[in-house]
Amino acid sequence: MSHTVASNRWTGALNIFLLVLAGVVSLTPMAWMVLSSFKASFEVTAYPPTVIFSPTLENYATLWERTPFLHYAFNSMVVTVSSTALGIILGAPAAFVASWTRVTWPAVLTLAARMAPGTLFLLPWYIMFRQFDMIGSYWALILTHAVITMPIVIWVLLPFFDNIPRSIYEAAQVDGCSPLRIFFRIGLPLVAGGLAVSSILAFVFSWNFFLFALVLSNSDTKTLIAASFNFIGEGSTNWGALMAAATLIALPPLVLAIVVQRWLISGLTLGAVKG
Amino acid sequence: MASIHTRGLVKKYGSLTVLHGLDLEIPDHELVVLVGPSGCGKSTLLRVLAGLEAIDEGDLFIGEDRVNDIPAAKRDIAMVFQDYALYPHMTVRQNMAFALEMRGMARGEIKERVEKAAALLAIEPYLDRRPKALSGGQRQRVAMGRAIVRNPRVFLFDEPLSNLDARLRTQVRAEIKTLSQQLRTTMVFVTHDQVEAMTMADRIVVMKSGVIQQVGSPEDVYETPANLFVAGFIGSPSMNFFPASVENDGLKLADGRTVAVGDRVQAAATAHRGKPLILGVRPEHFRVAPDAAGALSVEITLVEPLGSDTLIHFKVGDAEAIARVEPDLRPKVGDVIALAPSPEKAHLFEEKSGALIC
Ligand SMILES: Nc1ncnc2c1ncn2[C@@H]1O[C@H](COP(=O)(O)OP(=O)(O)OP(=O)(O)O)[C@@H](O)[C@H]1O
Ligand SMILES: [Mg+2]
Repeated sequence: MSHTVASNRWTGALNIFLLVLAGVVSLTPMAWMVLSSFKASFEVTAYPPTVIFSPTLENYATLWERTPFLHYAFNSMVVTVSSTALGIILGAPAAFVASWTRVTWPAVLTLAARMAPGTLFLLPWYIMFRQFDMIGSYWALILTHAVITMPIVIWVLLPFFDNIPRSIYEAAQVDGCSPLRIFFRIGLPLVAGGLAVSSILAFVFSWNFFLFALVLSNSDTKTLIAASFNFIGEGSTNWGALMAAATLIALPPLVLAIVVQRWLISGLTLGAVKG
Repeated sequence: MASIHTRGLVKKYGSLTVLHGLDLEIPDHELVVLVGPSGCGKSTLLRVLAGLEAIDEGDLFIGEDRVNDIPAAKRDIAMVFQDYALYPHMTVRQNMAFALEMRGMARGEIKERVEKAAALLAIEPYLDRRPKALSGGQRQRVAMGRAIVRNPRVFLFDEPLSNLDARLRTQVRAEIKTLSQQLRTTMVFVTHDQVEAMTMADRIVVMKSGVIQQVGSPEDVYETPANLFVAGFIGSPSMNFFPASVENDGLKLADGRTVAVGDRVQAAATAHRGKPLILGVRPEHFRVAPDAAGALSVEITLVEPLGSDTLIHFKVGDAEAIARVEPDLRPKVGDVIALAPSPEKAHLFEEKSGALIC
């Protein structure tokens, strides 16, 4: 008895320690980034890093003046929202069917494609999109990013669909539902939490995806993340402006995560279907 | 409303044959209970009827139509699942309305039907709740309500009472039977509980290992079981079986004693002289007969008073047996008591095939 209480206390302490450790590890670079974005340029690269400094908006002003920041943000939004939507439109039915039929090898294939380094696709895609005269179009980016978002959606949703008792599908069949209706009326509503989780993840991955945006966009369709690369020059990198850009780029996923936080938690605990 | 009729129905899962060529006739309006031990293929048969499993061989007719290739959605059958399978994201009302919506029924009529069914099942107070906020018994009712509103050709029930406590089970059992008499819709009810089968059924189908053993009214299967399996499965406590051989004045049991069984059984036994036989006597078909010639004196090893009557356990050779006696007898462990099998009710089986002789 007392043994259990004691070991509970130990696991409790261990949990807190691990949480703090994870927090420190993941938040330190963030804090560094945000603080640096408010530093004057000479202070950004100072070593050891200064913690107390007089904050300035200089970097943000630079960003505003030198780049069409809003335009890039708009591009990022278009590409990310569309590719996330495309990922869900393609991935949700795929996950449903994979779970229903228990045939998962196509899903494994998409995951393999996702895991392969992006550079592998870069050249074939560049050539292909050039053939279709699509280099620099939104569609080129949206389609390539869907290759990232779709496997995320499939793999997040699969366990959610698997978690739906089969008898519920069968009841719907007996009630006169076609498979398409079962998907829309039964399957999708029951994986709402999973949809929230997968759209966040898809959004974040697409938003931050750098490589394809760099190669397949032009100055009109460049995304934020690709554009921020401009601040890294040969020899003279404007770290302050880069940090300001990075801070702004990190905002939308953060806001999104906070907005759908409630769904996210109920989704992550997979409790949506039981009972 | 429709009859169901199968011809040589075979269902396999890979190399495992679960249903071995079933020929089954389920008449219109009847409440038919499929009963059998776990794993004998009851659920599989029900799922085949519903269209949730494909048929490997044979034919299935619902009414006049051969429905082998008709998908579940088009069979106009309602099913109540063991876990109820209510839609968790819909209210009770939406659960019940769902199938009607799928058929494109007008809103007014849906509302009317849902409310009528809800009244019938006394679930009106919960109409706007989600299944999660209902008790097991309430969910069970909603599952039935979902089936009833559809006014289908056939109802299928897969052990819908197994999640209920004993009292609720007795109550719902009676309700389903009443419902069957009111609605007059053909119902197929699966259970592994022979008491449930006996109390509810117009007709019982006893299955074992994917083969139908006997079809008949509850009285039929109780009074004239087709074989040893049915005899042992139907009735509680089970029928006692005594290996026996024929003697001139009765049947010789395993422990060498002879018991008198009356002219009917004696004649049948004599006709099978030389074959190993089994004498079957239900616990309630023993008479306490101290004076009767050829009665069996046995020593009581256990007494179970049930109130209305008392069960006494005893041994014949190695075989355990049970007799049901008057509680006024006040039997005690160690008492020796003389038991005579009822000459009209005792049965005789062939040991090898298990078939009923008389
Ligand atoms: N999907 C399946 N794949 C393979 N074998 C199956 C499948 N479903 C059932 N079986 C097998 O078929 C046989 C019959 O199963 P079924 O569920 O019909 O039994 P049951 O009579 O309903 O039993 P219970 O009373 O336990 O519900 C069992 O041996 C079972 O293991
Ligand atoms: Mg079953």
